[in-house]
Amino acid sequence: MPPVVRFAVRRLGRAILTLWFASTVTFLLLRLLPGNPALAVASPNMTVQARNILLHQYGLDQPLLTQYGKYLWQLLHGNLGVSFTQQVPVSSVLLARLPWTLLLTGSSLLLTIAVGIPLGVLAATRPHKVLDRFIQVFGVGVQSLFVPTVGIFLLFVFGLQLHWLPIGGAYTPGVYGAAWYGSIIAHLVLPGVSLMLVQLGSYVLTLRATLIDSLGEDYTVLANAKGLPRSKVVWKHALRNALLPTTTLIGLNLGYLVGGAVLTETVFAYPGVGRGIYEAVTQLDYPVLQGAFVLLAATVVVVNMLTDLAYGVLDPRVRTV
Amino acid sequence: MRARIPLTVVAAIAAAATVAACSPAPPSSSGGGGGSSSDTLTIATTTDVVNFNPLIGNSRTDDWITDLMYPRLLTIDANGNKQPYLAKDYGYSNPTTGYYDIRDDMKWSDGQPVTAADVAYTINAILKDKPAGNTTYGQMSNVSGATATSSTRVELHLTRPDSTVIPEVGFWMNVVPQHVFQPHGSVATFPNNSDWVSAGPYKLVSAVKGQSYTLDRVTPYPFAPNNTPTLQKIVYRVYPDINSEILALKNGDVDLIGNSLPPAQVKSLQTSAGIKVQEAPGLGYEHMAFNMTKKPLDNLQVRQALADSVDYNAIRSVVLQGQAVTTGSSPIPPVLKDWVDPSLKEYTYDPTKAKQLLAQAGVSNLKLNLIYSLEDPVSSQAATIIKDDEAKAGITINLEGQERNTYLANTASGNYDIYLGNFAIMDDPTTNMSLTYLPGGAINYSLVNDPALSSLIKQAQSTTDQSTQKQLITQAATTVHNDVYDDVMYMQNLYFAYSDKWTGFTVKPSELLSLLDPQSLANVKKTG
Repeated sequence: MPPVVRFAVRRLGRAILTLWFASTVTFLLLRLLPGNPALAVASPNMTVQARNILLHQYGLDQPLLTQYGKYLWQLLHGNLGVSFTQQVPVSSVLLARLPWTLLLTGSSLLLTIAVGIPLGVLAATRPHKVLDRFIQVFGVGVQSLFVPTVGIFLLFVFGLQLHWLPIGGAYTPGVYGAAWYGSIIAHLVLPGVSLMLVQLGSYVLTLRATLIDSLGEDYTVLANAKGLPRSKVVWKHALRNALLPTTTLIGLNLGYLVGGAVLTETVFAYPGVGRGIYEAVTQLDYPVLQGAFVLLAATVVVVNMLTDLAYGVLDPRVRTV
Repeated sequence: MRARIPLTVVAAIAAAATVAACSPAPPSSSGGGGGSSSDTLTIATTTDVVNFNPLIGNSRTDDWITDLMYPRLLTIDANGNKQPYLAKDYGYSNPTTGYYDIRDDMKWSDGQPVTAADVAYTINAILKDKPAGNTTYGQMSNVSGATATSSTRVELHLTRPDSTVIPEVGFWMNVVPQHVFQPHGSVATFPNNSDWVSAGPYKLVSAVKGQSYTLDRVTPYPFAPNNTPTLQKIVYRVYPDINSEILALKNGDVDLIGNSLPPAQVKSLQTSAGIKVQEAPGLGYEHMAFNMTKKPLDNLQVRQALADSVDYNAIRSVVLQGQAVTTGSSPIPPVLKDWVDPSLKEYTYDPTKAKQLLAQAGVSNLKLNLIYSLEDPVSSQAATIIKDDEAKAGITINLEGQERNTYLANTASGNYDIYLGNFAIMDDPTTNMSLTYLPGGAINYSLVNDPALSSLIKQAQSTTDQSTQKQLITQAATTVHNDVYDDVMYMQNLYFAYSDKWTGFTVKPSELLSLLDPQSLANVKKTG
């Protein structure tokens, strides 16, 4: 078997094992939570007998091992089950919310990269100057921010005081066509910027540090000595090597695309997966929670696997690991 | 370098395109809201619709939205009295047969008439399928079935005389269209999440979970001027909490907040420009239940000592900022004026007397745990005052604020000394006392088992003579009061905020109906 294929198979095996582990832990942890779904869902007027019937309908009166077996069997067939509270397949519950989360987290990631890389370059090319120090302070500052704090601050200033941007939701109901897209973007700005700000620091500081190192390397000195323009030395030679840790960072953030915005979605009433998880927790809707956590785990695992595979292709030494 | 720039641009475009491709699809203009601001009312809510099937749904938003589509047989007026809605007349033809005579002028939005067959189907389906979260099921323990004897008359067959069935089923049950629901089999598993059919005043046309729910006007609707609801559209928008809702109202994003305001926000909103605050009576109460299966709480003097140690007036003044009234320590909310017994007086705050009662009971160094839900800020604050007050009588209270599901689990298993919580809607004293004080009652949190009290409640259930029923319930409430089977602290008045650009709301008791009752929303309009 060619090394690349062996490498890919090994990574795939690890990914499947990780997914199994994550889904099993989720299954068990949910059943350790206090309370039971019949109490969370049923009207207080329901008698004990009626609640027991409900538990039977949910399959929660069966032995744990039987429940687990059924759960795994469903999972292997791509079936995430049916929501206790909504009586619809979990896949449709999640798919209805997933596009909003991907839009929010994807946009904020792109924005973070678009702002973070130039800021990192700006700081690294002016080491220990005023601008560099300012960017460093800014980077450390935003890195220490808590996303709900940023969100509420932006909400207060740009939503409530200045009335520039809407304060919640994903769009204004009752608008169509171009206006709908405009409304989507307007509603995306505050949660997107909040997420971008809390992620930005790590990008700026990581890139600054690695780029300063790259700019001191022999090949950069040689490029300068050859009389290449400064911009070409920085952007073509030094930045390419300095970007490797930033690429890892992007890979990590990509993995958290689905699960990384729970708090932001809650603050801005954004209709994504995060808010769905929050609601499912309060209702002890096991199938939705199991499905959501499998989805989150799968995102992380798949992105990590793709990153591993990409590294394997880019750096032959990795294939032997 | 020349080759790299296009590559970067291509990568950026590809990434942006991927994000765009994963993005939500735009709504179609035929079913996603719209209308000008003068004929669209936007209402803020803090919870999503959990289930669109009114026989399953269990969140407040479920009720608000499904109430606009699936009529109840009865409604209540400002004094909590049952009033006709879909049913024109109702009562008992003999002790074990109840009936509703329903209107003949209501139609489902697909043109089918609303008939007695729909009512009978709904009752029988609830009995057969026992849908989760259905309040009515618990009220039909003495109902064996229902029959439509004509297109406008439905009869309920009882296994024993039960005077609470007709008013309670009439008020709590939403009637669903048989021709829509029956083909889907069990009502306990039918999600009803598309192609809605409504009897008015409005019909759901678009639902985006976590975002908004849009309803269109349905005609004819006999409770609106010229059979036409005044609004073309109603939009419910979802916000994470009441504070976000208040911001949205101030910002002009919504016209009305569906949820009642926290006491601390009422005064500030009352003085805010462009905002009106409307008071609505509560229909429930906050109480402490002493677990009578545990010693020494089975001792009347100990319960009296606990009840006499708390300054209820301080709780109402400090925690609720005066937005609550005493019930006279009676389990009948004052809004039910026809049922209230004015001779019952609130337990007197007297720590010295409480100490004497404990001494007489031979109890010293009393230590008890008190559970409450951390999600309820009013209970959380009241619990602290209770702890401090009881300490003055020498009673140590260990406060156990709990996450909601833990609280529910402990409540169900009787794992507490003192339960602190509230009932949101206690619309029928006989039903509520049977649920609260009969052995095995679903909300009998004191775990009381007093044969004399049970006898009074069961007699009240059995009689269809209202004056006899009131007499029996008054006696039962007096027993609960005197024997401290429940420590009812107050009934909270509710406050709702809306934009002063709107007028014509009808106010009904409780957060369930408040300004959002279907008849209210069918008549509301813009000022000027």
